[in-house]
Amino acid sequence: MASMNELLTLLKDGNARSVDHLAAELDTSIEDIERMLEYMEKMGILKRTELGKVGCSDCSTCPGHNAGNGANSPCAGCMPEGGFKNMGVIWEVV
Amino acid sequence: MIDGKTVIALLGQPNSGKSTLFNGLTGMKQHVGNWPGKTVEKKEGSFFRNGKEYIVADLPGTYSLSANSDEEIITRDYIASGKADVVCILADSSQLERSMFMLSDYAGIEVPCFLVLNLADVAEDQGKKINADALQKKLSIPVVLLSATDNKSYDGLYKCLDEALKEKTVLNADSLISEYSQIEGFDELKGLIPAGIISGYSTNWLAAKAIEGDKIVRDKLSQALSGSDKTKYESIISNTDKGALKTGESKFKWIDGLLDGVVNRVETKPVFGKFDKAITDKRWGKLVVILVVIGGLIGSFIPALPLMGVGMAISALIPPVSSAMTSAGAPALLTGIVCNVLLQSLAFIVQMLGFVFGVTLVFGMLEEIGVMARISYVFDNTMGKLGLQGKSVMPFLVSFGCTMGGAAGARVIDNWGQKVLTIALAWAVPCGAAWSIIPMLSTMFFGPGAVLVIIIILLVMILHMWVTAKVFGAKLVPASERYGMIMELPPYHKPKWSALLRYVFGRTKDTFLRVIKVVIPICAVFWLLSYSTGSVEESILYKIGTAIEPVTKVFGLNWQLFMAYVASSVGKEGAVGVLSALYSGTGTVFGAVTGANASVDNLNQLLLSNIAKPEALAFMMAVTFNVPCIVAIAATYQETHSAKWTGLIAAYYTVVSLLLACIAYHIGLLIW
Repeated sequence: MASMNELLTLLKDGNARSVDHLAAELDTSIEDIERMLEYMEKMGILKRTELGKVGCSDCSTCPGHNAGNGANSPCAGCMPEGGFKNMGVIWEVV
Repeated sequence: MIDGKTVIALLGQPNSGKSTLFNGLTGMKQHVGNWPGKTVEKKEGSFFRNGKEYIVADLPGTYSLSANSDEEIITRDYIASGKADVVCILADSSQLERSMFMLSDYAGIEVPCFLVLNLADVAEDQGKKINADALQKKLSIPVVLLSATDNKSYDGLYKCLDEALKEKTVLNADSLISEYSQIEGFDELKGLIPAGIISGYSTNWLAAKAIEGDKIVRDKLSQALSGSDKTKYESIISNTDKGALKTGESKFKWIDGLLDGVVNRVETKPVFGKFDKAITDKRWGKLVVILVVIGGLIGSFIPALPLMGVGMAISALIPPVSSAMTSAGAPALLTGIVCNVLLQSLAFIVQMLGFVFGVTLVFGMLEEIGVMARISYVFDNTMGKLGLQGKSVMPFLVSFGCTMGGAAGARVIDNWGQKVLTIALAWAVPCGAAWSIIPMLSTMFFGPGAVLVIIIILLVMILHMWVTAKVFGAKLVPASERYGMIMELPPYHKPKWSALLRYVFGRTKDTFLRVIKVVIPICAVFWLLSYSTGSVEESILYKIGTAIEPVTKVFGLNWQLFMAYVASSVGKEGAVGVLSALYSGTGTVFGAVTGANASVDNLNQLLLSNIAKPEALAFMMAVTFNVPCIVAIAATYQETHSAKWTGLIAAYYTVVSLLLACIAYHIGLLIW
């Protein structure tokens, strides 16, 4: 099991890391990293953002917004329906 | 006990199957309300067994018993109140390392409990073998494996329930407390807390929560203690550093210890494919990404070709239509409107759409496959150097489609300065409208060199963003310690073609409608301003244009190009339409300024004959890096709530776009 403090210390170098890279760097399993991320997120140490949900889903003044697809649909000209769905998730230190 | 009925509280994390078990136990005998004074849903139900009635309280699904949310406070207050005779703690058997966290947080609470390892069927499918008896011995509470969806298999659960009620089984937390004891200050703190100081909680539990940083527990202890004990308590608390991390690690170690010999754990070690290794490599990743993007841009020309052909076919219709209308005695003004405004605009629009289709298809496919996520990952460090968060990457990506979407997407950035800076930089990203005209113009003027021109524009974009970050960053984002982000990269998978094509066609159609709305009116206005039945000097646009041309020429823009540049501030799609209006048609200013070339029928040839390559390059730079459009300016104001910053960014982009045009023009003069 890796230490959460060690994980946060690693992040201080400012470099981005994937969950897999972190697991390799801390010589632990992906599950161990995932539970640490979950814990730190719940404790308010990390903030989780689903990148697929970021985007123009709320730009109600855009001419292409809600083009017949419901109140919260994104602009057909900006993003696929539901946003970019395969953009992953990021955690940032709060 | 309530009126002689036994109360069972169901406690578990979200997705542990708590609601399934609640429904399985109570059937239709349940009622839903709210917890007093809160908007959190309260579910209670009942069931009879062996002539005895049991009340089941479905506590809110929470990660832990910390005071981080209303749900967590409600849950732990309910348990501490003693209303429940027994607590049924649920854990997800398929991921015990994570889901046992609730059990570890319960340790130290002395209300009788038992553990249900739910989703046993899922764990079995994963090949996991769980020894519930061994776990029961370690915990000193009844433990049962269960699939809550199968309500005919609840015998083991009822047996545990009976045992927990009869034996008043309390969770053995000795080994967890040993872990806590290794945290500096824990034992000393525990010694200060008299038993029963806060009803329902043990001193161990309270000490651990105080170390963790639980504000409610800390405040209650501070109020309950007095004299030297209070002073010591406050000294320990103020000297506690990273308490949440330390108590969390103690719990994880305890869980790992519990699971040793209880479950055959399958730990997934990271495995990197060759492409993944290359694209996420610290040194070479950016180069691989750049090559992928260049490849994508080149590839996007292929699906663009059919629509480009259609556009050129429409353009080829202009001379015969013009001749036919003239022979039929149609007024010159009407012929001009039909041929030089409507047909010419339509020809350009369709050619533009070819590129919109191609670029959207290729980059949509890269996103579907999972490459775009890796691109944002690789460039996160660059974001950091610009003073931005990892989240800023999405507004930038969205801006490739629409700057307004990018500005709206910056809403997720909490820090105002970073949000404004993200929007300011998103303006430098060529939007869908720019991507619809730039490839077309660069193909027209530079032939096979178009790809190189596009690469240069992308490099200028990066440089522009870097310079803009330096210009505005110091004011907006003061330098501070920056942590790297962690990213869960999506797995690679085959694109879902039907969804992708729906998006690509949707986007192409949306762009077509939007472009029609922008191009034709702008084109018509400029064409009318340039129209004159008599001497060319009489047209308004000619007068204005020739008056300012000595200045605009410095930037490599003759007056027609400059007017098209001005029109691009309203919407970039309009720029080419304006060019078409100003460079085409009998009776317009065009005839006077293009002389012999006026006899050339095809507008592509007209532009090629009258605009030199350095001017074309200057025009593309000016239009690409001009303010995106009126709507994007409005969106920027809406997001930043600052007229000052919106105006400042707009003025900055106008100046920089002309400066870039000037540089491109003079470099172009040296080359051609």
